[in-house]
Amino acid sequence: MGRATVLLEVSSLTTTYQGLVAVHEASIDVAQGEIVVVAGANGAGKSTLLKSIAGMERLRSGKVTFAGERIDGLAAHLVTKRGIAFVPENRRLFPRLSVADNLRLGSYLFRGEADREAPIERVFTLFPRLRERLEQRADTLSGGEQQMLAIARALMTRPKLLMLDEPSQGIAPKLVDEIFEAILATRSAGVTVLLVEQRLLESLEIADRGFILQTGKVILSGPANELRDNAQVRMAYLGM
Amino acid sequence: MTLQGLAQILASGLLMGLIYALIAAGLSLIFGLMDVVNFAHGEFLMLAMYATFGIVVATALDPVLAAPLVVGAMFVLGAFVYFAVIRHAMRAKANIGMVQVFATFGLGITIRGLAQHVFTPDYRSIQTSFLAGRTLDLGGVFLPLPQLFGGLLSCLSFVALYFIIRRTDFGRALEATREDAGAVALVGIDKNRVFALGWGLGAALVGIAGSVMAIFYYIHPDVGTPFALIAYVTVALGGFGSIFGALAAGLLVGIVEAISATILSPSMKAVGIYLIYLVVVFMRPRGLFGNL
Repeated sequence: MGRATVLLEVSSLTTTYQGLVAVHEASIDVAQGEIVVVAGANGAGKSTLLKSIAGMERLRSGKVTFAGERIDGLAAHLVTKRGIAFVPENRRLFPRLSVADNLRLGSYLFRGEADREAPIERVFTLFPRLRERLEQRADTLSGGEQQMLAIARALMTRPKLLMLDEPSQGIAPKLVDEIFEAILATRSAGVTVLLVEQRLLESLEIADRGFILQTGKVILSGPANELRDNAQVRMAYLGM
Repeated sequence: MTLQGLAQILASGLLMGLIYALIAAGLSLIFGLMDVVNFAHGEFLMLAMYATFGIVVATALDPVLAAPLVVGAMFVLGAFVYFAVIRHAMRAKANIGMVQVFATFGLGITIRGLAQHVFTPDYRSIQTSFLAGRTLDLGGVFLPLPQLFGGLLSCLSFVALYFIIRRTDFGRALEATREDAGAVALVGIDKNRVFALGWGLGAALVGIAGSVMAIFYYIHPDVGTPFALIAYVTVALGGFGSIFGALAAGLLVGIVEAISATILSPSMKAVGIYLIYLVVVFMRPRGLFGNL
């Protein structure tokens, strides 16, 4: 395939969650500039995989390399500092703080720098409605707007890699399109994307490659178009 | 009662209330940040008073000038207590609430015991301040200068606190951590650092109170206990975790105390505080400004 440099490499990662093995010897890789989707049924271990990379779950074994350096075992805030922004499943906004404060916290790592707010214009271009809601409390936003704010806050940390856990969950269909478009635009701006999604068909449309997880194991991987045409995938996940 | 008498009661109550508010603010800050009640808060106050006394004895400085040193030392102590005790107590796998209660309660008893041993139970006092024994005569209402200085310092502290919380990145990190401590890592904030700074700030606030109270109170190992009790009531009245609720509630407690000391008897002043506490808690369980 002649792919570009590998940005993230996860090898033989095993994580237990509440005593059960949630991710079992999973290996995935993401190259610079790619959109990679990780798909699978509920409980397949997708969220645990992302949390493990983000430093929010402790690994049982395996290793995670990011931009050439080991990051497994790092505290979560240091992973963010290395350039991985994570938007977890439940978004984890600061609900009683304003939209503006949530965004400003996103650039916390760049406090004291003159161009601290540099990414804000790009964020407003992606999600124009956030600009209109700046003074509103985050918990007064709709589900879709909260997802936008969560992605926007993540982009304010100036990541090399953006990890999204089910950004379409519980969101009006019209806003889902907006969010998928924003993901494409983010990649165009030079940010690599690792996406966990239940909406496999839509995500394979924007992704370059995909990994299918089943009960914690990677059972299938390949270019997005191959996965889309794969009979097994069509049967199991696309209902065709 | 004359109007002048009433004004005197209100003024004394307000000045004491400002001190109560300052003590309660530190407690409320820590509680709001991480849901931990610092049962060693009274001992923090006691240590700040001894620290002031120690500096005055050792350097012959006026206690007013010793205050910045005391406040700085209390900040360091607060952060140290977080790293040495609280952080570990928060890792408890079971009964985490109880573990935290006993961790801070035990810390309080330990500090008091150490104070008995090192400082002896003797009562000490500072008589060298240029404020000591002076009063301001405001048209027949007499305001003792040490208390007036304490009230002023308390007001300044609340203004500074407001500025820190609303206008600085540290304040925003503090607010974010109290909203969701598990999420601040997503923006690159180390929650342990915020917790430690929060404990430092909480201890520094009670340190300000202690350095002023050292001028007009006897200093002994148990001096903090009654003030800590009043602080718990103040925090509950103002709304758990609400710093500016603590200010309002502190003023209320100070005034109620002064009034009940006058109309009942000085030994009954706690009764009035407890009554107002019951009324507020029954009618508005979350406290005056709580949003739990």
